[in-house]
Parts: sequence; structure tokens; C-alpha cells
Amino acid sequence: MLEFQALKADNLDQALDILDEKKKQVKMIAGGTDMLVGIHNESDDLKGIDYLLDISSINGLELIEDKKEYMKLGALCTHNEIINSDLVNERFPLLKKAAGVIGSTQIRNRGTVGGNINNASPAADLVTALIALDAKVVLKSKDQKRELPLSQYITGPYRTDLKANEIMTEVKVPYIQGEYYENYQKVKRRQAVAIARINLAVITKVEEDKLKDIKIAFGSATPTAIRFRKIEKYLEGKDIAELNLEEIADKTGQEMVDITGTRWSTPYKKPVVGNLLKRALQDIVKEVQ
Amino acid sequence: MGKVDVTLTVNNKKYNLKVDSDERLLDTLRERLKFTGVKEGCSIGECGACTVILDKKAVNSCMVYTFQVDGCEVLTVEGLEMNGQLDPLQEAFIDHQAVQCGFCTPGMLMSTKALLMDNPAPTREEIKTAIEGNLCRCTGYQQILDAVESAAKVSRSGEDV
Repeated sequence: MLEFQALKADNLDQALDILDEKKKQVKMIAGGTDMLVGIHNESDDLKGIDYLLDISSINGLELIEDKKEYMKLGALCTHNEIINSDLVNERFPLLKKAAGVIGSTQIRNRGTVGGNINNASPAADLVTALIALDAKVVLKSKDQKRELPLSQYITGPYRTDLKANEIMTEVKVPYIQGEYYENYQKVKRRQAVAIARINLAVITKVEEDKLKDIKIAFGSATPTAIRFRKIEKYLEGKDIAELNLEEIADKTGQEMVDITGTRWSTPYKKPVVGNLLKRALQDIVKEVQ
Repeated sequence: MGKVDVTLTVNNKKYNLKVDSDERLLDTLRERLKFTGVKEGCSIGECGACTVILDKKAVNSCMVYTFQVDGCEVLTVEGLEMNGQLDPLQEAFIDHQAVQCGFCTPGMLMSTKALLMDNPAPTREEIKTAIEGNLCRCTGYQQILDAVESAAKVSRSGEDV
């Protein structure tokens, strides 16, 4: 049994003071949809916690706001708040799609974007989309504030760069200028309440039938969700009428294996990542036409 | 491990409680307040048997600590009945034989009640989404969907069941 003392912060300053004072013995909880499972399973990462600090009622951290250059997702906004946000719908339907395939209605009502990121599961559905969107995270401590790309913030499976005295307050999603296409794919064992075996987010512009500024991020294919830069480079400028889908699929699978090496799951995942990108590109081409 | 003071409103009644730090909302409802309609199934948010309505939203009560929801309002299956009258949704579950062993029923009712509170005329797909986090191992899903559809129609037409 893990034993801890409950603490509750009503505002950000109070939470930061508690973290500053108690440092490493504190774990934060918001929606709790990963944390309670971790505690139930007595996860190694949680051994030795003395305090569980609830930050779910800190006001203002749940807001989704238009900030001219970027959309601000408060770290405490829930998956269902993302799904129901007019701003998300208008500017980033990709995020709505990614949030919509997380867990169940009950989980989407509680789970937060901050939790999805900070749990740092390689299969996190929002993270793959946010990596493709070049999102940044804002971290505050009592005396400092820093900002870094989400791709650098997540340092490994279930590992982040969060310092013991910091709280993630927001995620910045930069607006994309001009018209663009996007696609989200998820392979899972069943239709709902399923963790992604692999997920994929693709964003691209299409100018004069040519792919431009294409961004491709896979989750659950590599230790952390990342952009597949080689296949992006290969596809950049290609005419959508002349895409060699078999070659693209092969190259994508190979790029994964170049990163992970051959693992027990490779015979399954190698063709699947290729086929998923193929499917995403086919969808985009159909949409363009 | 110290106790935490919490005020909860459950089924329209206010309770001032001293709870343990690791006491889940599920534990408080079942063990402390004896609302045993709330069921514990998987304990990890997959089966939905513990679903309650927390501040108008369906949540898994096994995934919430009671200390987190100080000041909140909770509705359990026991709170659906009003003045001796079952909720139209409960009547519809009976009429459509949407109850077999009954273990999933309180969770199913709370998930679909939350849906109807927010969306009085859901499509069949929307009903499916609302209960995607509720497992029924007797596999009576069709009857459950029929029941919710009919309850939605009844409340729309204003008829009393």
C-alpha cells in the first residue's frame, strides 16, 4: 500500500510554494485517470511519495484561449473541453480528433491535457498530435518561468524534464498560416477505452498539387512520440498525383527500425506504420480532390 | 496519514466528512455513506460500474479521490428516484428489459442520465459514445440503447411514462 498525505492547492502560488518547500516527496494530481491507476498498481515511479497535491481546482489553468500567434491550452483543460471548444474546432480539428479517441466519456471528462503530457506515455493520443503541431509547454516555478518544445520536454517513456518545483501551466499551439490538411490515425485493439498500439498525426499544405511543410508524428512506434524527419524530407515537394505509396510505406517502416532497432514488436509495427501513413496520405489526397 | 475535511452534496443532501487521504469517491459513497448502488468493478477506469455524475458530468468514481472534490455535487443511482417515482430512464430500462444481471445497470444509468441532461435528443451513435466506458458482460447493449432512445423520446414529448 502506498501511503501519502493529501494536499490541495486553491491557486497557483500556493501550489508552487508547496512544491518549493517539499520538493521531491510531492506528486501532483489533476484528473487522476492515470495517477489512480498508478497508485492502484503501486507503480515503481510512485514509491516514496509523501504527499499528493491536488491542483485540479486551480482557477484559470483550464482555459482555452486565442492568443493571436498561438492557441493556449491551459494544462487543466479536459479532453472533453478540447472536443467542445469552438476555437479548437475552428483552428485545430486534429486535436479534437485526438482527444476524441482517448479512453471513454468518463475519462475524457476528468483527464487533462497536462496529465496526458506529464504521464508521458509513448502512446498518449494528444501528445502525437501536439508534437506534429510543434507545440510548446510553459513551466512555472516559484521564481522562474521557462518554455520549451514539447518534443524536448518528454525525455523518454514516462519521463519528462519537469523539475520538482515546477508546474506545467499551459501548452502553446502555434497557428498555421494558410490552408492546410490534417489527418489522425489510431490503431487499437477495440473501438473504445483502448490504448493506442500506434497513432499518427499528419499535417501538410498542398500547393499546386505538391506537398508542402509536411509534418508527420508517430506515437507508440518509438520510445517517445517523434516527428519522422526522413520521410517528411522525402515527401516534401512531391506531387500528390504521383505518390509511390508502397515506397513511402517501406521507407516509413525503415525509419522506425533505424531508431528503435529490431524489437519483438518490429514484425508487426514496421508494416503498420507504413500502412498508416499510406492511409493518411490517401485520405488527404481524396480531400484535396 | 491525516484525515481531510470535505463537504459533499450527494443526491441533494449535504455531508460534512473527515476522509482518509487515499479514500476514493467510490469508497466514500459505498462504505461511508452506504450508497451501494455504486459498484466497484475493475478499479482502473475500464468497466464503468462505478460511474456517478459529478457536477453534471459522468465520471468513474474509482478514479477520483474524495479530497479532490470538496464542495462538489454528486448524483448516484439512488438519487434518480424522485418522490417514490422512478426516473423515466429507469422505467425505460425496465420496459426494454435492459437489465439482466444488473451489475452494470447503475453505471449505465448514470452515464446515460448525464448524456440526457446535456443532450435531451441524442442519436444512437451519441448514446454509444456515452456508454463506451461501460461494460455489460451479459451483452445486453441493444436493449440498453433502445431504452435510452425511448426515454429520450418520452422526455421530448413530455409524456409521463
